[in-house]
Amino acid sequence: MPVEIPVEKWAGKVNEVKLGGNGRKSIVIGGETTLPFLKIDGAMPHRPAIAVEVDDVMPADWSPHLIAAWGDALEDPAVWAKKAAEYGADIIALTLDSAHPERGNTGAAEAKKTVEKVLAAVDLPVIIIGPDVAEKDNEVLIAASSVGRGQRLALGNCVDKNYRSVAAACIADGHVAIAKTPIDINLAKQLNILICDIGLAPDAILMDPTTGGLGYGIEYTYSVMERLRLAALIGDKMTSMPMICNVGEESWRQKEARATSGVPATWGDHQERALAWEGITAVSLLNSGADIVVLQHPRTIALIKDAISKLMA
Amino acid sequence: MALSGIEIYKHLPKTNCKKCGFPTCLAFAMKVSQKAIAITACTDLSETARAALEAASRPPIRLITIGGDSRKVEVGNEVVMFRHEKTFYHPPGLMIKLKDTAPLEATLKTVDEVANLVIDRVGLKLSLDGFAIQNESKDAATFARCVEAVKAKADLPLVLMSPDPAAMEAALEKSARSRPLIYAATKDNWEKMAELAKKHSCPLVASEPASLDELAALTQKLNQAGVEDLVLDPGPQGFSSSLNTLTQLRRLALKKSFRPLGYPIITFPAETTGSPEEEVLLAGQQIAKYAGIIVLSRFSPATAYPLLTMRLNMYTDPQKPIQMSPGIYPIGAPKPSSPLCVTTNFSLTYFSVATELEASGFPSWLLVCDTEGLSVLTAWAAGKFDAEKIAKSVKAFNVEASISHRSIIIPGRVAVLRGELEEELQGWKIMVGPPEAMEIGSYLKRYWTN
Amino acid sequence: MSRFIATSAIRGAHSVIADAEATLKDALQKMGPETPVAFTSTSYFLPVIFGFTGQKITKLGDMPAALQHARSLLPPVPRDNLWLPYLGETLDAGVATLFAEEIIEGIRFAKGQQPEQYNGHKLNGPIDDVQMRSWGIQMVDGRMPGFAAIVGAAKSNEVAVEIVRQLQSRGQLVFLCSQSNGRSIIDQLRESGVDLGYDTFTVTFGTDTYSAVYALGYATRAALSFGNVAAGDIRKILLYNKFRCFAFVLALGQVDDIKYATAAGAINYGFPVIADTVIPNILPSGVTRYAHVVSLPFDDLPGKDDLEKAQRLVQRCVEIRGIKIKIAQVPIPVAYGPAFEGEVVRRENLRIEYGGKGSMCFELLTTKSLDEVEDGKITVVGPEIDAVPDGAKVPLAIVIEVAGRKMQTDFEPVLERQIHHFVNGAEGIQHIGQRDIAWLRFSKSAVNKGFKLKHLGDILHANYHNHFGAIVDKVQITLYSDPEKVKQLMGKARAIYSERNIRTAGLTDEAVDTFYSCSLCQSFAPTHICVINPERVGLCGAYNWLDCRASYEINPTGPNKPVAKGKVIDAAKGEWEGVNKFVYENTQMKTDRFTLYSIMDQPMTTCGCCECVMVLLPECNGFMLVSRDDYGMTPCGMTFTTLMGTVGGGLQTPGMMGVGKYYLLSKKFISSEGGIRRVVWLSKNLKESMEEELKAVCEREGVPDLLDKIGDGSVATTVEDLLPLLEKKGHPALTMAPLI
Ligand code: SF4
Ligand code: SF4
Repeated sequence: MPVEIPVEKWAGKVNEVKLGGNGRKSIVIGGETTLPFLKIDGAMPHRPAIAVEVDDVMPADWSPHLIAAWGDALEDPAVWAKKAAEYGADIIALTLDSAHPERGNTGAAEAKKTVEKVLAAVDLPVIIIGPDVAEKDNEVLIAASSVGRGQRLALGNCVDKNYRSVAAACIADGHVAIAKTPIDINLAKQLNILICDIGLAPDAILMDPTTGGLGYGIEYTYSVMERLRLAALIGDKMTSMPMICNVGEESWRQKEARATSGVPATWGDHQERALAWEGITAVSLLNSGADIVVLQHPRTIALIKDAISKLMA
Repeated sequence: MALSGIEIYKHLPKTNCKKCGFPTCLAFAMKVSQKAIAITACTDLSETARAALEAASRPPIRLITIGGDSRKVEVGNEVVMFRHEKTFYHPPGLMIKLKDTAPLEATLKTVDEVANLVIDRVGLKLSLDGFAIQNESKDAATFARCVEAVKAKADLPLVLMSPDPAAMEAALEKSARSRPLIYAATKDNWEKMAELAKKHSCPLVASEPASLDELAALTQKLNQAGVEDLVLDPGPQGFSSSLNTLTQLRRLALKKSFRPLGYPIITFPAETTGSPEEEVLLAGQQIAKYAGIIVLSRFSPATAYPLLTMRLNMYTDPQKPIQMSPGIYPIGAPKPSSPLCVTTNFSLTYFSVATELEASGFPSWLLVCDTEGLSVLTAWAAGKFDAEKIAKSVKAFNVEASISHRSIIIPGRVAVLRGELEEELQGWKIMVGPPEAMEIGSYLKRYWTN
Repeated sequence: MSRFIATSAIRGAHSVIADAEATLKDALQKMGPETPVAFTSTSYFLPVIFGFTGQKITKLGDMPAALQHARSLLPPVPRDNLWLPYLGETLDAGVATLFAEEIIEGIRFAKGQQPEQYNGHKLNGPIDDVQMRSWGIQMVDGRMPGFAAIVGAAKSNEVAVEIVRQLQSRGQLVFLCSQSNGRSIIDQLRESGVDLGYDTFTVTFGTDTYSAVYALGYATRAALSFGNVAAGDIRKILLYNKFRCFAFVLALGQVDDIKYATAAGAINYGFPVIADTVIPNILPSGVTRYAHVVSLPFDDLPGKDDLEKAQRLVQRCVEIRGIKIKIAQVPIPVAYGPAFEGEVVRRENLRIEYGGKGSMCFELLTTKSLDEVEDGKITVVGPEIDAVPDGAKVPLAIVIEVAGRKMQTDFEPVLERQIHHFVNGAEGIQHIGQRDIAWLRFSKSAVNKGFKLKHLGDILHANYHNHFGAIVDKVQITLYSDPEKVKQLMGKARAIYSERNIRTAGLTDEAVDTFYSCSLCQSFAPTHICVINPERVGLCGAYNWLDCRASYEINPTGPNKPVAKGKVIDAAKGEWEGVNKFVYENTQMKTDRFTLYSIMDQPMTTCGCCECVMVLLPECNGFMLVSRDDYGMTPCGMTFTTLMGTVGGGLQTPGMMGVGKYYLLSKKFISSEGGIRRVVWLSKNLKESMEEELKAVCEREGVPDLLDKIGDGSVATTVEDLLPLLEKKGHPALTMAPLI
């Protein structure tokens, strides 16, 4: 008996966003006219990208497995970035963590130096993430913005408290803003509207819906992303931005990935568990609409890269 | 088009006889309209009413039960494509594959480990569901022996895997009472397998890798042979085909009410993946995307835990957030002098606070109040997170015995509670914490001096 | 349009263009067309010309075309009594002037005469791109509203300094140029030792009026960098500046033809021109957001001395340009923040209380017109705290007057209710109640730190600006602690309260053409939407129509949106085309019809946070209502929690819906099914806590003894028990038209 497969016809399309260029390698993400990897309804013209986190200071409390995997590279963001590129990163996600008031409180001058160094070290597109304190984000992101003028970086996080400054810097220097909201479709949409109101073009915005790691709210992120993507496909322009998920950090900061002692035997081998934690979080969020996943462990980079290829096949 | 509760009610006897297990006919009708129960549960339904209602109220994906009375897995009966539309009801069964060719001792060791694997996750006990035993030996007696031994060791739900009806028959003799899932009826052996399924009243997998057309043809033949409890096996599925095929199957069932494919699906992620690591990733995807039974090729607690967590997360009702059991939770290894924070029992709230405390470098005590799963502000607005409730929780969980100081940090969003709480908790210092969990670390650094 | 101004401006334009033509001719002859022309470090060429035409002037030889274009824009100078010039012509003359001025400055650069050397100092001249971008970011993110281009010289050096200080304190960039009677404000500031430069947000352009064109070059480049605008798209450039760049021209001293002509250029950008001398006003808005030309003769400004007049002048400029104020820090001597909201001031620590038992205290917020309110004015009438003994109980009236272009009297109660929240943020100050039952307690520690009555004013002023800046432009506060005064004003206040009550009660669905939505609950129930009409609150009970309207005005991208009713489909059931369309688009297309007055036919969706659930009891031909805090069993066989599981989550369930309890009192309460007469059972706590109001409703509906006939949890928790009771009491629902 012939089975008639129901096909969804979507009117909307996810924006295509370009990163890099101008002498730097460039990458385009987004552009979907279908749900993630669902070929029957429409097209997914660009494969989701893997960004690899690089911090400007040696991470203080990382899992020993991460530290072992990266070794000395952790001491120098430029070396680290190069290594990440070798491991297969599509994008470098440079985190200016040292600007955090409690983790060094560095300022614009240091940020400029670090960004220059990393930009010189690799030719991949670059994302710059501030320390997640709105005022400090402003200070270092604006500095980074002028250093990377014309190279179409992505700057984050652009949140309700500081979106104006970050968006303005993106307009002035031709970058992409990462609009981050706390796991809520309406807040995400509202921030997109506000950023567009300022004059940043919709194709210069990425959404970070806030990642909940596996076991720590992943279901909320997963569903909000599905809803955002469905809204985009229905034709809502203000939810049509590609999405980025901070998978690595949200997986590896959890007890299940980090704790080395004092955990029940039923949890099994530490490294195997931790890698599965990051990997499953990544695959799930790719399936709910992530266009960029930021990862931390080299092994996960390889695994997810392969999984993406297979999903795109 | 689904009927509304009222329309269904019109057809019911309206006697409120309660034989359906519901207090009134209307309450029953509402549940039927949500497809949460079949109309046949009303014992007094007239034939005409049944005819009018049955089609409209039949669950689009049949509910299949595997396993006996002690432990069983129920899968199917899903009603939405996306969990936010309502919820995913029946978590997929996670089964570990065993081969009847492996040394029995080793097999039983695994069985024992799997059966004893209980992971305690915030008050919930997570464990794997059972075993899929493969007749690798191609020998009926060996197969039957293995099944019998496994069943004797742990009476968990089983999938019996053999293309040979004779071997299947032998194994069923040993295990039919616990309703194993028979794997599988194919276009070559379906008549015999259907016989077995009927004879032992066990659910049966219809396996047809060629196409969905042929799969549907097979299930119809099985239906005609009198087998209703089916599970689908559309053949080996890699990342992409798994997503696409399983989505199509779910759509056909939900959107087209296509009966021949309205059954749960069994998957074998190892068949298409090159390494155990990759198998886990595909299994993770299949939990979210529409698998009913997932057979894992190997057992490792280190990957069972994340998969069980994934399953727990995806099958949480998004409209009824998971609640933490109220109580006092140690975060890190707190001492009596460590900080004490209080929050609500909405799981996401709990996790944000716990994660930040964990990362803050301050081992702490976290007091979780029963706010019926509401977040801080909502609970406060609904009167479920007030000074009285906090004070009661402090008493109820004997917090004073755990800590040596008398300071409690309340969420910044409910700073308004400070005054009343000072009244309720005489002799305590009430500290107002930051409004966002993210700021807890800096807050403790700045203000915690004990 | 003032004929005088038009004539002066057009005359000025003619003279500037003539000057430019002569200068250019001379320069071309002496230096040749290949001589390069460039402003300081910019990639925007001569920015005004580039912005208007897209033409990239890089050498003298590029200039004649632009100048010809300018000349072509130039209207003839109006001859006496012959024709009346129009605004459009004056504006064109302004543009022509800016072109000519930019050409002259360009030639000066080519000759090395720019930036200008003046009295031994080098002036800044045009702003370079790097600085423009850095300030531009601050302008976009709101830290810097815009700029003030000051042309001429102030009355005195002190006045000049005060004006600049006032502007700086508001985060406004200050551009300085030109002169008046041989004096320039640049001289005045320098003589007074004021630091001038990028670091102090003051930029010296030049000592003639031509250099004022740099201000407009700056504005043009800001639009090109931040407005997503291409050079040549002049309409967008001008609109960008009109709406985003809060700039104005302040002409100090005499205004000559060239100043008028340049000012006409500025008006094109939406920048108003304010003069401190007597010139004709051009008030009606159009091109600029509010007024075009305003004369504020310095000596006529209110103020006891020149410094106060200077402050007043800047204050007026800011108002005219519509610049919103943000106050970063509430200026009070105690700590301020949400962490203090829950504090209780106990007897031991009580210094003084206002209101409370046996005393009088009220708060009132009203709307005034813009000129009736002086922003930031705080007056205390009666004794301050230091004049009152410890522990005293004193009457108080907090009278707030606000003005704003978007303020409406309907928002008054919404704003007034915020006083509680605002005042409680101060450490050591406790606020209880509202309206005429307000009660404030000040702690000893707060008063010892210097907290005074007046600081209440500071708190309120800052907060209204910060939180309600979208609707409030000016706020003044009077605090009456004089018992006589309070008594006297109390009557007036009460009259206003009762007027408001009547108005709210009288607000009907028919009287408005817009309802409001609330989508807050979509985070849990994605397909749920509340449509809130004047006669029905949101189902959580927390938001009414006025709240939503105010919330929309304040935050148009927030959770509340206007819903145009559109054509009525069914007046009895409460169904409108506009509402249906909105609901369809905002429930992920899951719900396409919504009736507001019916529970049986396409009722509103229900989310998880409703105050009450209303359920059909088919056996009784009526409905029951159970409230969230009733944990008991109900006649429908389900508890509140079970009901939530059935009805919640954004579903439309005929026969069941969530409602706010005050909906019971509305005339539109399920009016399509017969209203309150259909209620056969109520949660006991609802029945008791709302007894008075419910009785009144029963009276109003002509069934005065109805409340008695309605069952509750104490008499029946099953329908079998309820039905006989209803029959015994003769409940009207039993004889009404069958629901099913
Ligand atoms: S069994 Fe049927 S008649 Fe009896 S209460 Fe249930 S629905 Fe009503
Ligand atoms: S229930 Fe209340 S908060 Fe929720 S959407 Fe309706 S009005 Fe808004």
